[in-house]
Amino acid sequence: MMPTREEWAVVLFTLRVAALGTAVILPLGVTAAALLTRSRGAARSLLETALSLPLVLPPTAVGLLLLDAFARRSALGSWLAALGIQVAFDWKGVVIATAVMSFPLLVRSALVAFEEVDPRLVGLARTLGCGPGEAFFRVTLPLAWRGVLAGTVLAFARALGEFGATVMLAGNIPGRTQTLALAIFHDTQTGRDDRARVLAGITALLAFAALWTAEALGRRRQRRRAA
Amino acid sequence: MISLDVELPLARFPLRVAARLSAGVTAVMGPSGAGKTSLLDAIAGLRQVARGRIAIEEDALVDTAAGLSLAPARRRVGYVPQEAGLFPHLSARDNVLFGARGRAAEAAHAIEALEIGHLLDRYPSSLSGGEKQRVALARALAIRPRLLLLDEPLAALDVGLRERIVPYLLRIRDEWSTPMLYVTHNVGEALALAGEVLLLEEGKVEAQGPPLSLLSTPGLSREARGGIENLLAGRVAAHDAQGGVTRVRLAGGLALSVPLSVDLALEAPITVAIRAEDVLVSTEPVRGLSARNVYEGVVRGIERGAADAALRCLVHPELPEWVARLTPAAVAELGVVPGSAVWLAVKSHSVQVVSTGTGRPGAARV
Repeated sequence: MMPTREEWAVVLFTLRVAALGTAVILPLGVTAAALLTRSRGAARSLLETALSLPLVLPPTAVGLLLLDAFARRSALGSWLAALGIQVAFDWKGVVIATAVMSFPLLVRSALVAFEEVDPRLVGLARTLGCGPGEAFFRVTLPLAWRGVLAGTVLAFARALGEFGATVMLAGNIPGRTQTLALAIFHDTQTGRDDRARVLAGITALLAFAALWTAEALGRRRQRRRAA
Repeated sequence: MISLDVELPLARFPLRVAARLSAGVTAVMGPSGAGKTSLLDAIAGLRQVARGRIAIEEDALVDTAAGLSLAPARRRVGYVPQEAGLFPHLSARDNVLFGARGRAAEAAHAIEALEIGHLLDRYPSSLSGGEKQRVALARALAIRPRLLLLDEPLAALDVGLRERIVPYLLRIRDEWSTPMLYVTHNVGEALALAGEVLLLEEGKVEAQGPPLSLLSTPGLSREARGGIENLLAGRVAAHDAQGGVTRVRLAGGLALSVPLSVDLALEAPITVAIRAEDVLVSTEPVRGLSARNVYEGVVRGIERGAADAALRCLVHPELPEWVARLTPAAVAELGVVPGSAVWLAVKSHSVQVVSTGTGRPGAARV
């Protein structure tokens, strides 16, 4: 059974919000990982734990916290509303929910990649005239980019399948906030199991492609290190 | 003049080094873990100094009393680590130019002097160990450093390759006149390159002085002097092609045979090394032995260790005492005590030529 136009629209919407969410967290996640790489001790482990919370909390709990943060009666929500921006029950809410849920995956992958870079090389860059920032962009990042990219793809894959936080913050509004994950749930609830299966198949294909890419990047990284 | 007054905690002991080093090459020697690399790191700014002052001429890089610690980028100290430390994602050219920042002439000079022009488009993974070291040297020189730090730059290379890199180091020493701190375990390198040796042991300066006299001082640890106890200076006296030996005239007129090396110029000054375990000891005059070098001497002292004993013997008043390493059983069997007459025998193949010339072997071949 071929997907209909309506179903393609859901697929496109999902890809778009996942890509947007990933784009939002990429600079933030790389910065967070770079700062964590340079820090040690209790502060670091506290931060690392806090950043990883979305991995283990029930997504609905994260969604609820986000909903409270962005609700019209909250400080942030009313400030955004004054600017004419509505996050809750809007596509922007989907972006934020998926971004928050996939953020830890990106940070953790980037952190591992940065820590694999020989600190002696960074030190040498500094003796050759680089400040810490320049050494990061000229040595650390070029040597770690595969790992960062693998983490980005992983975060994107996670964003594709996000359900709990999204449904709490953005609701399940067909044509407005409904992603693939939400549509599958909606279809099974409304007796359209066949359509749900088609969407599930598409989701599986997308996720497979993304994970395959991330794995391939990881494998090449290992080969390079072995060389 | 480099002034070092450095104090920083290491894992097993604190590093406390106070020394003034003349311009030129200083070989930093000492057992593994003595704090040599930590000292270089502190000078380069890669490790924080707990207390002290580091200065090149009058310019302080670190002065904890004044709250001064220049960022590594502002020290202009070139660093070449043991494994070259090239950036693997950059070509040799981009490695050399990494810190050059518009000093293209400096980079070009370094590329020419180290003869790496033909390697510039290659990546570090395709360079041999010696080529990597030359690129790393050029990279350090391209920042026009006020001081060069070399951390066992030849340790990872095999012996033949080492000999081919040493002339480049000599060229840098003579053409750039940049002061160098050169960490090495190799007596030959120290003798060939350095005007001075700084010996570290457990984070402290054990000794400082001219290489030959310092490295042949009795009482310095074996490891500190590169595992070679007997260092003797002499001149090339004759080549005996038929006999397969080159004869060296030691101080006091003693003759010593070394494996034939016809490329040594006659009358050239030469330093040879003999390991203490390669010296055979007899209490009677030696006859019918294949060893080419036999000397009569007197035992001056015996130092007993757990597994071996070191015999210090006077062979000639103008030569440093020879050290022979024996097992405690052999010492007991021979019955030697201080004052005993002994005959020392050394095969010519146990004699290693560690350097030709004293200080300026400008004639070294590439």
